[in-house]
Amino acid sequence: MSAVIFEGVSKKFRRGERHDSLRDLVPALFKRAFHGAPDRQALADQEFWAVKDLSFTVGAGEALGIIGPNGAGKSTTLKLLTKILRPTRGRIEINGRVGALIEVAAGFHPDLTGRENVYLQGAIMGMSRAEIARKFDAIVDFSGVQEFIDTPVKRYSSGMNARLGFAIAAHLDPDVLIIDEVLSVGDVGFQEKCVTRMRELLARGIPLVFVSHNLSAIVQLCTRAILIDRGAVQFDGRPAEAVAEFRKARREPIAAGAAAPDKPIAITDVQLLQADGEPSPLFTTGRPMTIRVGYHARQPIRQPHVAIDIHGVDGVYCAGINTRMDDCALGTLEGRGFVDLAIAKLSLLPGCYTISAGILDPQGLRPLDLQERAFPFSVVSDRRDFGFVYLEHQWTHANGAEARPVSRHDARLSPRPARSLAAVAVQEELG
Amino acid sequence: MTILMEVVAEQWEYRELLVRMTARDLLLRYKQTVMGFGWAIFMPLVNTAIFSVIFTRVATIDVGTPYPVYAFCGLVAWNFFASSLRFSVTSLTSNPSLVTKVYFPREIFPFSAVLVSIVDFAVSATVLAALMLYYRVDVGWPILMLPVVFLAIVIFTAATSLLVSMANLFYRDVKYLFEIVIAVWMFATSVVYPIGRVGGRLGAVLALNPMTHLIDAFRAVLLDQRMPGMAFGFTFAASIALLGVAWVTFHLAEFDFAENL
Repeated sequence: MSAVIFEGVSKKFRRGERHDSLRDLVPALFKRAFHGAPDRQALADQEFWAVKDLSFTVGAGEALGIIGPNGAGKSTTLKLLTKILRPTRGRIEINGRVGALIEVAAGFHPDLTGRENVYLQGAIMGMSRAEIARKFDAIVDFSGVQEFIDTPVKRYSSGMNARLGFAIAAHLDPDVLIIDEVLSVGDVGFQEKCVTRMRELLARGIPLVFVSHNLSAIVQLCTRAILIDRGAVQFDGRPAEAVAEFRKARREPIAAGAAAPDKPIAITDVQLLQADGEPSPLFTTGRPMTIRVGYHARQPIRQPHVAIDIHGVDGVYCAGINTRMDDCALGTLEGRGFVDLAIAKLSLLPGCYTISAGILDPQGLRPLDLQERAFPFSVVSDRRDFGFVYLEHQWTHANGAEARPVSRHDARLSPRPARSLAAVAVQEELG
Repeated sequence: MTILMEVVAEQWEYRELLVRMTARDLLLRYKQTVMGFGWAIFMPLVNTAIFSVIFTRVATIDVGTPYPVYAFCGLVAWNFFASSLRFSVTSLTSNPSLVTKVYFPREIFPFSAVLVSIVDFAVSATVLAALMLYYRVDVGWPILMLPVVFLAIVIFTAATSLLVSMANLFYRDVKYLFEIVIAVWMFATSVVYPIGRVGGRLGAVLALNPMTHLIDAFRAVLLDQRMPGMAFGFTFAASIALLGVAWVTFHLAEFDFAENL
């Protein structure tokens, strides 16, 4: 049985200001009387579909990521999921208690103490008094505001406020968990606790819906992702593929002539090619990848160097390669052309990465042109190792017998833990 | 009818939240004011003093019981009704973060306003009891009907609270209109004088006011050792029906709240 079912769900909103005084009621009633009730299916003046004919399901043990550009309908979908909004048409079915890590401190009253607010917010989230009392110590412990639990929350810092709210939400035992960009709360230690808690819930088979702009977090936490745009599902499948699809749609080529015309040489494009030579935003651990740097030299450049950097989305510097360190001579670059960097086996583990490309002067010191973090790509794999890189490895035991690989269960069913908390927490900066 | 059963069942599920929200409002009042629950006694006492001067010194009326007891009794019941509505009218609009961001049955807001007023009522009722002792008002067995009469008042109040809180969310004029209506309504009800003595066509119109029958019944069982009459029975039944209609209406509109706040 699916925990969440969205069936042809649409939601209509109206642009512009809505007036809330009786003065507006009278003309509206007249209009209704003479023109009949407005048709729910049709769009009246100033109305638009925030979500249109959206269908998806989330089953037990599934972690569904929802991605899409701003204004795609993600927030509306969340509000529909949490029952704050009712669909204009379509059917939403949610089985069980929804735990939403959204607005976790919405019920806090500034004049009440932390303790009083825990009981209040807990009740708002649907916990019984006995349940809160039982979990109270754990909640306070999780939040890390022990010393201030009897202080009114108006004296709390915004971080303490959010942590306390989050701690309450984290102790709700939901049947469905809904998360919206929550992991930017608190310091790294607190985020670690949150991710661990989420992982516990996932491990118990509790379905999760995760809406985020943090594509890395989506790839790492989710078992499935949907890309929505203009209120409808554009892609439904593996998270890395959804992310790749999303990026493909947004990828803007370097505008011709955008590079300063006084530069002797400019990088025109960087293409990422798969083994078959096809450009792709999606690569697999252990498979080949070719980085093709296109250039336009306005004058012949003798012995320049080309540099490639790869960064994780959280800023981790994963690799830096350049022709100078490799003692590779490119000769003279003239007119238009490209330089290929072939990687036989990609050692990066699943996640989102960006490439920076630069063309340097013969001494390898001064960049002639630099495109920083301009080219994103995603990596997928069935490997479940932690970290950023896949290390070719083999286990052996002291008695000399080679350790046999244990059978793996389907990686899609068991969510991959986040490799690094920072990677989950840091917001993706890419446009 | 099925909708009504559903909403009542859902409200029952959220009963702990209702208690919590009520406790929140009481706690806040206690924290933010010096007199705390003292205000629940102070206001009707001041009004009783004023009306006692008017109706025993200026325009003397005979109400059968000592006038201060008569007036205080009416004011306690009326204040319960009026203050429930006064809290309810802004209960949804003053909690925008809860209404737009978290889901739970929205009835909790007006209902907790009613519960808070019940606590105030209980506090001022102790003063009423003291006044009755002081003026040696006898009580008889009809006082056993008091819970029923009070229940009728609560039901009518809850129904009206649902309607005004919802109305104010969609049209903010309601808040201002409310103050005028409640002031006029008080003098159209037998709070500080027996409105039943207004005869003729105006009297017939005033007899349609449910609050008059409720307060008259309240006084009858408490001060006059009389059972409430037919008018009370009709009002009780009508109040139950009104609560059903108001609750279903509120529930149907509930999903538009977040969009209109």
